[in-house]
Amino acid sequence: MGNNPGISPLIYLNNAATTWPKPPEVLDEVAQCLKIPFFEHGRSTAGSATDYPSETRLVLAGLFHAENPDHFIFTQNATDSLNLLIHGFVKKQKASFHAITTDLEHNSVLRPLNTLAGDGKLTISTVPSEDGYIPLREMKKAVRPETRLIVMSHGSNVLGTLQDVQPVADLCADNDIFLVVDGAQTAGQVPINLSAISGGAFVFTGHKALFGIPGIGGFYLNDPETTAPVRQGGTGTDSRSLAQPVEMPQKFEAGTHNYTGIASLLAGIRFIEREGQDKITTKGRNLATLFLQEIKNDPNIILYTPAPDLPVVSFNIRNLDNDEAGYILAKAYNIITRTGLHCAPLVHDRIDGGKGCIRVSFSYLNTPEECRAAGEAVREVAEGANR
Amino acid sequence: MREFLLESPLTPEFLTFLKSFGTVKEYPHMKRPYFSFEQEHFISLKGFVGDSSVEVRYRKEFFDLTSDYFHLLLFYAKQGESGARKMLEITDSIREKMKVRLPR
Repeated sequence: MGNNPGISPLIYLNNAATTWPKPPEVLDEVAQCLKIPFFEHGRSTAGSATDYPSETRLVLAGLFHAENPDHFIFTQNATDSLNLLIHGFVKKQKASFHAITTDLEHNSVLRPLNTLAGDGKLTISTVPSEDGYIPLREMKKAVRPETRLIVMSHGSNVLGTLQDVQPVADLCADNDIFLVVDGAQTAGQVPINLSAISGGAFVFTGHKALFGIPGIGGFYLNDPETTAPVRQGGTGTDSRSLAQPVEMPQKFEAGTHNYTGIASLLAGIRFIEREGQDKITTKGRNLATLFLQEIKNDPNIILYTPAPDLPVVSFNIRNLDNDEAGYILAKAYNIITRTGLHCAPLVHDRIDGGKGCIRVSFSYLNTPEECRAAGEAVREVAEGANR
Repeated sequence: MREFLLESPLTPEFLTFLKSFGTVKEYPHMKRPYFSFEQEHFISLKGFVGDSSVEVRYRKEFFDLTSDYFHLLLFYAKQGESGARKMLEITDSIREKMKVRLPR
């Protein structure tokens, strides 16, 4: 971990936003990627260059148990993926339709949906969570004959709860509904089996638990016909045609790839494979549990995630604004957290009256010692705010 | 938001001075004695008594009027009662200009 002269070593607990540090091999791969000209399909390239997009699609397919590597599409991040999928789906529809989402969603889902609702393209039902989980019965109740789209998060970035997607995928299959699962918080953190959402799409980002650098993300699309591309441009293939190729992945990828980002993603996934997904999942839960043990009995701490599935713990301190608590933790203890609404405004209306909260989120590269130190610091701040 | 590194550490007297212009919250029992200051539409501050760095936030829509406000507070705080009177005059003058832009 990096050091800040004069105070304690930096403890970075904002990994649900962006993981830090990255495994050394990720940084090495990015540097290596820039040392020789990029391998580009359909163009002359140095013979020894790595075909990063193709290799990374293969390792993504392996990690997520996906059938078709070419159905992985690279984007900037999860927000970009969600926008492309949602707007592309709307483009394919002949008439306004009904969409379902949940109150756990990030603005990367809520804002595209509400923008399209404002344009009269769709209507939205928002299914309320119960203790951080979306009840299947509520999801079923929300489905109407004109429902064509469900967008839901796999893991909450505020509560750290993990949704069981399989029954929702079945519901979608039975009702001809396109399911988009936002896996921003889960890809790389928990085992993902994309065979469970046949017919739908799964969105991921590279800069969180997949250990890539910011600026790379993507989605997996089972059936390329379910949504339309909203970007067109050069693909290095079929250049005589003025129409966008219909083959995957070119159908949804136009322009030069983010090669350094994809290289970082490749190295990040190889790191996960080497360490073991189950080991990473277990360590994440253990770190969250350890931190919770440090703070759960403090009467001045209001916990919103008593038993999270993901390494995400949200709380507030009595008599202290979350923004101020974050400042004190950063400046007096050198502990980086995230405070505020976490871009998920609806869930805050339910848990903290819309005021926001303090979120700590752990990565595989955090240590138990850091968890204990952070727990102790939070307790100390809570005591200082209530004496 | 801007973080300023001051020539000398923030003092309890400066916090007392601030109380004439907005809401000061003090948490003296923290590891380092934390305070915040909020003056609606003007600025907000976060920092620690005895520390030389302070975080200053401005409202974007009034930044042209308040960008020097923190420095003026620091300057006039050193001048006792006459400084407080002058600072209140400056504050009233800025507030009048703000009123033109605020929704009625």
